Amino acid sequence: MFVKAIHLCTKTYVEMTVITPLVEDIVAESGIRNGMVTVQTKHTTTGITVNEALECLESDIQYALSLFAPEDRPYCHARILPDYGSTAGNPTGHLKAMLTGNHCHFLIQDGKMIRGGAQEIYFCEFDGPAQRTVLVMVEEK
Amino acid sequence: MFIDIHVFPAFYEPINGDPAKEELRHRALNIHKNGTAPLKHIFNQMNCAGLDRLCLLPQDYTSRTGSPLVTNDEIRTLVDLAPDHFIGFASVDPNEKDAADRLEDAFARLDLRGLYLHPGRQRFFPADPCAEPLYRICEQYDRPVLFHAGFSYEPDTVTRYGHPLAFEEIAEQHPKLRICVSQFGWPWCRETAMLMLKYPNIYTDTACLYFDSASEFYKQMLTQDVPITWIDRSLRHQIMFGSANPRFEQIRMANSLSTLDFRDSTLDLIRGGNALAFLGRKF
Repeated sequence: MFVKAIHLCTKTYVEMTVITPLVEDIVAESGIRNGMVTVQTKHTTTGITVNEALECLESDIQYALSLFAPEDRPYCHARILPDYGSTAGNPTGHLKAMLTGNHCHFLIQDGKMIRGGAQEIYFCEFDGPAQRTVLVMVEEK
Repeated sequence: MFIDIHVFPAFYEPINGDPAKEELRHRALNIHKNGTAPLKHIFNQMNCAGLDRLCLLPQDYTSRTGSPLVTNDEIRTLVDLAPDHFIGFASVDPNEKDAADRLEDAFARLDLRGLYLHPGRQRFFPADPCAEPLYRICEQYDRPVLFHAGFSYEPDTVTRYGHPLAFEEIAEQHPKLRICVSQFGWPWCRETAMLMLKYPNIYTDTACLYFDSASEFYKQMLTQDVPITWIDRSLRHQIMFGSANPRFEQIRMANSLSTLDFRDSTLDLIRGGNALAFLGRKF
């Protein structure tokens, strides 16, 4: 298995970043001709999702997620966490990440990632700004 | 100008090349799983919070930890990297014999803009004789003192040293010394309000978030524990925004201030006007 990390420094509280070209570069670098690639975020307040890369859809996705997890609600995840020594304040990030999921898979054939014409891989930030890491794992089958 | 008067840069990347030192900081401050932050990330965080300046506090608890956790020279290094973003404070341990010399050096050579002390961690009462020379140096250089007051989540701390009432004698004896009894002396917020009413040289900040979300905690502390009318009518020139980041969440705390129904002019004072007065407007 070929594994490489993508490092991102997000700038805003919520943002969506297309990382398809970065993943395709890693697939090419792996040299693997046939198999599968998995893209997985290492964090619990970020997501990986596949969708069409349109700014209108990005707005709609963020709006829909905010309806599911509005900021101004009496969440329980708002307390000192002894393991961190700091106060938790990002329940909406965790909840939104639960909806998008933390990974996606694509088939690799003849060294190319096979995806539909509208499919792009998004890294979703739900608790930025932050430093983030996404793992790309390429497996030969 | 929006200023965070209470920021600890212990995990800023430029001063964390040594893994052993970083581990010591995690352990000694009881802050974990946060990694180190490149300045690019700090600036992004400031942008999201709308902050123009951060006041960086070193932490010298030498009598308890053997050496400073963050030194005055490291603060100078950070300020030099981003002078348009950072204001640097000094810290010395009053229990150390060379504390006065080190403070003078921090003001004269390093041009740091104030003194940070943590009585609960450094185990001294603010009116103890060991701290008196430090206050005189602050007066001589026209620099303020920011004290950690009230509860502390740091390990190896004893709360009674930082009770707000312990600051009254120095406020009385040093009427020209600008003193911040930080985090509203939480949980003794009304005692802190009393001190501010009596002594115009006493300031406080908002650098605590011990329960609930930022907006819930601020609503409790700044509108109920201390009625909002007390602040908006009487104490509005003595309260500064502080976050104690990275312990607490700078962005949500900064954003929560505007949800509390202060007058706009009061909000402007809390966001920056009072900090400029506290700092002597020289940086």
